[in-house]
Amino acid sequence: MTIRLENLTVKFDERFQLNTINWELAPNQHWVITGTNGSGKSALAAVLASVGESISGTIEGLPAKVGLVSFEAQAELIAAELKKDDADIMDVISVGTPVRDILNAAASNTQLLNELVEKFALTDTLERSFRTLSTGESRKVMLIRALASQPDLLVLDEPFDGLDANTLVMLQQYLASLIETIPMVMVLNRFDEFPDFITHIAYMDHGELKHQINRDDEKAYAELYQLLHLKTSNLQIPAADPDTVIPRLDPEQPLVRLNNITIKYADHKVIDSLDWTIQPNQHWQLSGPNGSGKTALLSLITGDHPQCYVNNVFVFGFQRGSGESIWQIKQFIGYVSTALQWEYRVGTGLRNVIISGFYDSIGLYSKYTDRQREIANQWLALLGMSERADQPFNKLSYGDQRLLLIARAMVKHPPLLILDEPCLGLDDMNRQLVLALIEKICADSETSVIYVNHHPEDQIKGIDNYLALEKH
Amino acid sequence: MSNNYFNTLPLREQLAQLAKCRFMDISEFPDGVSALKGKKMVVIGCGAQGLAQGMNLRDSGCDVSYTLRAAAIAEKRQSWKNATENGFVVGTYEELIPTADIVLNLTPDKQHTPVVTAIMPLMKHGACLSYSHGFNIVEEGMKIREDLTVIMVAPKCPGSEVRNEYVRGFGVPTLIAVHEANDPKGEGLALAKAYAVGTGGHKAGVLMSSFIAEVKSDLMGEQTILCGMLQTGSLLCFDKMIEEGIDAGYASKLIQFGWETVTEALKYGGVTNMLDRLSNPAKIKAFDLSEELKLIMRPLYNKHQDDIIDGTFSRTMMADWANDDVNLLGWRAETAETAFEKTPAGDVEISEQEYFDHGILMVAMVKAGVELAFETMTAAGIVADSAYYESLHETPLIANTIARKKLYEMNATISDTAEYGCYLYNHACLPLLADFMKGIKTDVIGKGQDLADTGVDNARLIEVNAALRSHPVEAIGSVLRGHMADMKKIV
Repeated sequence: MTIRLENLTVKFDERFQLNTINWELAPNQHWVITGTNGSGKSALAAVLASVGESISGTIEGLPAKVGLVSFEAQAELIAAELKKDDADIMDVISVGTPVRDILNAAASNTQLLNELVEKFALTDTLERSFRTLSTGESRKVMLIRALASQPDLLVLDEPFDGLDANTLVMLQQYLASLIETIPMVMVLNRFDEFPDFITHIAYMDHGELKHQINRDDEKAYAELYQLLHLKTSNLQIPAADPDTVIPRLDPEQPLVRLNNITIKYADHKVIDSLDWTIQPNQHWQLSGPNGSGKTALLSLITGDHPQCYVNNVFVFGFQRGSGESIWQIKQFIGYVSTALQWEYRVGTGLRNVIISGFYDSIGLYSKYTDRQREIANQWLALLGMSERADQPFNKLSYGDQRLLLIARAMVKHPPLLILDEPCLGLDDMNRQLVLALIEKICADSETSVIYVNHHPEDQIKGIDNYLALEKH
Repeated sequence: MSNNYFNTLPLREQLAQLAKCRFMDISEFPDGVSALKGKKMVVIGCGAQGLAQGMNLRDSGCDVSYTLRAAAIAEKRQSWKNATENGFVVGTYEELIPTADIVLNLTPDKQHTPVVTAIMPLMKHGACLSYSHGFNIVEEGMKIREDLTVIMVAPKCPGSEVRNEYVRGFGVPTLIAVHEANDPKGEGLALAKAYAVGTGGHKAGVLMSSFIAEVKSDLMGEQTILCGMLQTGSLLCFDKMIEEGIDAGYASKLIQFGWETVTEALKYGGVTNMLDRLSNPAKIKAFDLSEELKLIMRPLYNKHQDDIIDGTFSRTMMADWANDDVNLLGWRAETAETAFEKTPAGDVEISEQEYFDHGILMVAMVKAGVELAFETMTAAGIVADSAYYESLHETPLIANTIARKKLYEMNATISDTAEYGCYLYNHACLPLLADFMKGIKTDVIGKGQDLADTGVDNARLIEVNAALRSHPVEAIGSVLRGHMADMKKIV
């Protein structure tokens, strides 16, 4: 049945609205929705899963069962799990829901579910608590949930983000095998990820559906590609704050020295006997499949992982566990990761989010200087967000949040910049902006960069050390 | 066995102790955690609160380990897992207590006497014993060895928040106190302050109080407005709606999530803001209802406070502890059988505003309970700061537990002491409000007012607004919320 949106205006909250959408999806079509960050791509996809408050216009032909995968849906599931953990005035720590229960609740076909679990290589994680999964693993859970529910329509918002290379190829093939039975709508930021079976492209801009393009129309397709690209030459990184003094480090000592590192949960070893030394001015790329412990390893360095106290961790002149505080460690680090983005659930303004990078806090609790405010304004201008400086952060789209957190990580020009899959959720244009920023920072002599990334094409000039983790 | 410590003091000392409570400025913590440097801290118990505090202290550079009963270690219980999986050293009392400079007792109240009795002989000469609640010292009259320093550091939030706020770079409001009978070296305050810094509490505001003020206000708050009023209100409102033919699923949902929604408004802007969320006629109605409720319930609040002050409450409860909790367990089972508890929330949409509009009586009950608890506490000599934290400040936290799984969850999550007091209140309050409830209709609970004319008399509205805004709980509330907002102003 054809899905028909006519003059549809949908409100999401006070901040965002989709305006007078006219759109028809025939049963044999497969769509990609694209556009810049914050343009309403995800919102339009979510409308197909009955999210949002319809103000005017009509929508008809929506199938009963829609399988939705998105960061918002994932964040909701994670928030629900976190909320369970809050139930501890009774002073009991909840262990969280096992992955098996989360999957069973959604599946209508056990055999299919088992096949998918195997395809996504999640068999080993079934008994683990959902909360302990890595970013990539929890994304896989979302995908399996949607696919195993045997939906009449699949709505996949950035389904490939955060998946390791093998899983990505598998998923693309698997989706291709479904095209005769299930119509699909995908939100994709990267042109190079558009699957071959996509028949139509919808381009969003400022909450409006601006262009609808048939994949076969080569001229229109090329124009759209240009629309999404922007030159990133003449890029200037805002200066550091001369008054935010980061203590001098001994140039003869490594920034980070990890000796014989082991990270384990119950009996499961994520990292086993690893050594890693990062010298000043070295840049590193860290890679490995989903669940190989990339984020866990990095959080040993940032001090966010409690097992940093039972490992031989030397960072910025401190042997961990010798009486230092985590704030003494964090002052040397700028950090971006998906985990941080989930933690950063605050309603503070955009400018404050950037300023919080000077204080290593989530939210801002300190009085800042005029100079810091000025530097934050320069970053906002660079990101094209100057007019939104005082809007609440938690109402931004996922990609825009990501951009701000990258600015927050870079704002103090830290001795060590850790970018854990920084480009997740960014459109082509912003991805190039961020990659250009990282190259600038790498070229600059004061910062060492650790860069985690699954996409081989997102190589960064200046990174010449590599550490590849394996899944245990 | 027990000898109520408070009752052994002369009146002037009782009054002085009850009146202790001062909000400390962040500038009073220039020494950070230095008083704890080089000292070994050993935490007894590893529940959520114990784990959160230990992790914060360790991340602040303190030396923290955990001691558990031998059985908990041998059987690898959850508390053992909590501590070891987070990379802490865990040992038995015999192994770790003799090495400790500071012992953090973070076990439930009921276990304090056996736990403290077991560890005290093992403690180093001149070490420090820390509590997070003073029941054991004040009500049970536990005598601590004279060479030991006894302090209290009590974060006013559940463990998960204690940890999350620290990780964000902030903290939660924290109460500290020194047990003056046990401060042989005069270092109690310095240790308590450093401990509060180590958990991040100094960033969110520290209240310097006394063991006595903490216990007497904490008990009063939890058994009246926090748990008792919400339980009694839930049962009465639900039964009334059913009697009036409101859909059971709707009624159940309105109550289960209504307390959380209306007290969220309370958290941000006090009683005034909670009532400002209503239309003018509804606000006047809620005000009138709460005045009536206060008149009926005041003797009950006075009785609870009197029984707490003179030790009757703790004596009765401890007799039940000694009697295998017969009363407590009986009341718990009885609560599980109530109609409200057994009716699941319906699958209906209720907007945020509708919880106010259809829950006028619930708003009135919260207002009456908060104001009565505050008035009764301050009349008993507890200062306004304490009374505010133990009434208004904590109400949203408890409302939140009801939103999760109704009364069962609330009673499971609060301490046994709070639960016992809650049932006492509930049993007395239900019959007390029986006549009042006869006059209640669905305009104030379930359906909301359906007025053709929403006009009100100017003079009457001004009078109601003035009364709301001039209540003492609002005065102290705006000061204390202002402190919090100053420090947290940007969030």
